[in-house]
Amino acid sequence: MSLEKKVGAALFEVIDPELGINIMDLGLIYGIGVDIEDNVEIKMTLTTPGCPMHDSITNGVKHRVSQIEEVGNVHVDMVWDPAWNPGKMSDKAKGMLGFG
Amino acid sequence: MKSDTNVKLPLAFIIYALIALVVAQAILFFNNDLLLAGQFRLPDIWMGAHFLLLGYAVMIAMGAMYQLVPVAFLTPIWSQKLGYIQFIITAIGVTLFAILLGVQPDNAIYGGILAIIGIIMFIIQMVQTILKQKNKNMMTYFVLGAITSFFLTIVAGFLLAWNISYGGIGSHNTILASHIVLGVAGWFTLLIFGFSYKLVPMFSLSHGFSMKWAKPAFFTYIIGLILLISSFWLDFMFLETSGWLVLFIGFSFFVLDIKEILAKRIKKKLDKPFTFSLLAIGNGLAIHLIAVLLKVTGVDHPTIWSWLIFLYVMGWIIFSILGYLYKIVPFLWWTHKYSNKIGKEKVPTLKEMINEKVSVVLFVLFTVSVIGLTLGALFQIGAVVFIFQGLLALTSLAYAVSIVRVLFV
Ligand code: HEM
Repeated sequence: MSLEKKVGAALFEVIDPELGINIMDLGLIYGIGVDIEDNVEIKMTLTTPGCPMHDSITNGVKHRVSQIEEVGNVHVDMVWDPAWNPGKMSDKAKGMLGFG
Repeated sequence: MKSDTNVKLPLAFIIYALIALVVAQAILFFNNDLLLAGQFRLPDIWMGAHFLLLGYAVMIAMGAMYQLVPVAFLTPIWSQKLGYIQFIITAIGVTLFAILLGVQPDNAIYGGILAIIGIIMFIIQMVQTILKQKNKNMMTYFVLGAITSFFLTIVAGFLLAWNISYGGIGSHNTILASHIVLGVAGWFTLLIFGFSYKLVPMFSLSHGFSMKWAKPAFFTYIIGLILLISSFWLDFMFLETSGWLVLFIGFSFFVLDIKEILAKRIKKKLDKPFTFSLLAIGNGLAIHLIAVLLKVTGVDHPTIWSWLIFLYVMGWIIFSILGYLYKIVPFLWWTHKYSNKIGKEKVPTLKEMINEKVSVVLFVLFTVSVIGLTLGALFQIGAVVFIFQGLLALTSLAYAVSIVRVLFV
């Protein structure tokens, strides 16, 4: 499995504590990049700017990804553009929220 | 970005407030004969009312603002240290003031001064924090409007307490009426409006709503406050009726926005405590409407108006706070305890930190006791007032315990 895939799989284990749904299914991860030294760059967003869970979730992402053996440094790039919208959720997440 | 407040400060406010809530309801219970008689302007009721409004509601508002202002306005609290000093002074001041109001009203002013110093420190803290916010939005204006009303409330409160000690200030009753309107409608209502614009979308996960009524709601409600307070000073009945009407319209604008936010929500099944805060919005709208109808039909009986103020305070303000607190405390504690563990080990979700079933029972009991109490008082049945104020006191105790329990998970 490529490192990108491993990181992606690990992020399924980071759960948004308010919604009880993991951040992958919520569609919060916009991109995962790995350089030649296996440093990981994660581009992500949150459902609302100024979300009080901001620090907790970014830390959660860092912690989880750092646990993967090959990974070097982890950097989280929080972006608000494009803004998150409900269409980014997986069908599973939509189902859990009773949406759609 | 490190914008959150240390958890200890908001929790200190919240724990003090929960104790004050129970004390307030117990005091009102032991004076249920005065409630029945519709005698609110007596030392024991002043004491109960200020334990409830200053001790509970104001302290929760302060604690919640230390927590929410940084995250909602994206600016750190101006001075954490001032926060602790402010907490201690306000807590001692409010306790002393409320007790003195009950046992030695002549000296209440001394406790009052301490409470006022604490509140002014809070106001300075918030104004300094908000001024640093880069992009002001409607929420900022709601909060600034609320804080201005808060300041005027304590100025009026000071004059009232001064009069009880030394006398000499005319228009005592007019100042009292202004004090009540500025305190409950100016400060609390504007504050809850402002924070609802942040909290309702957050708790319902709403997207793509417009907030198009926020500005009209803000200005209309403020104009309503000005009309109503002017009517007391000018003693002009028509102005009073129009004041209530304009307040009702302002409230309706706010409700329109909330309805749109909820219609566009993604989370279909809402948490129970949050639903209770939404129910409080419905209560608020109904109470404003009843006030307009009473004015239009010329119902002026002081007992009826005293109970309407009671309903305004309990059904709208206190119920909103009771519901939101059930979301805020688990959030605070979660951040403190699990924030650094997420991604490392399995952590509970916020919902797993509270017992929703218990919360539903508590919220039903709160609603039943407030309705029972009001009916008992309006129909003058002593036993009913006794039973439901007793139930309210016990429910408050159970509520306080259930919140504190969260800190042990
Ligand atoms: C947001 C804060 C406050 C609110 C919402 C509030 C609300 C009220 C209410 C509803 C009453 C009527 C209670 C009754 O008749 O039993 C009242 C009376 C009174 N308040 Fe406050 N109050 C606040 C803060 C203060 C402060 C800081 C002071 C003084 C330092 C104060 C001094 C008084 C006095 C002396 C009375 C009795 C006046 C009378 O009946 O003649 N209040 N207040």
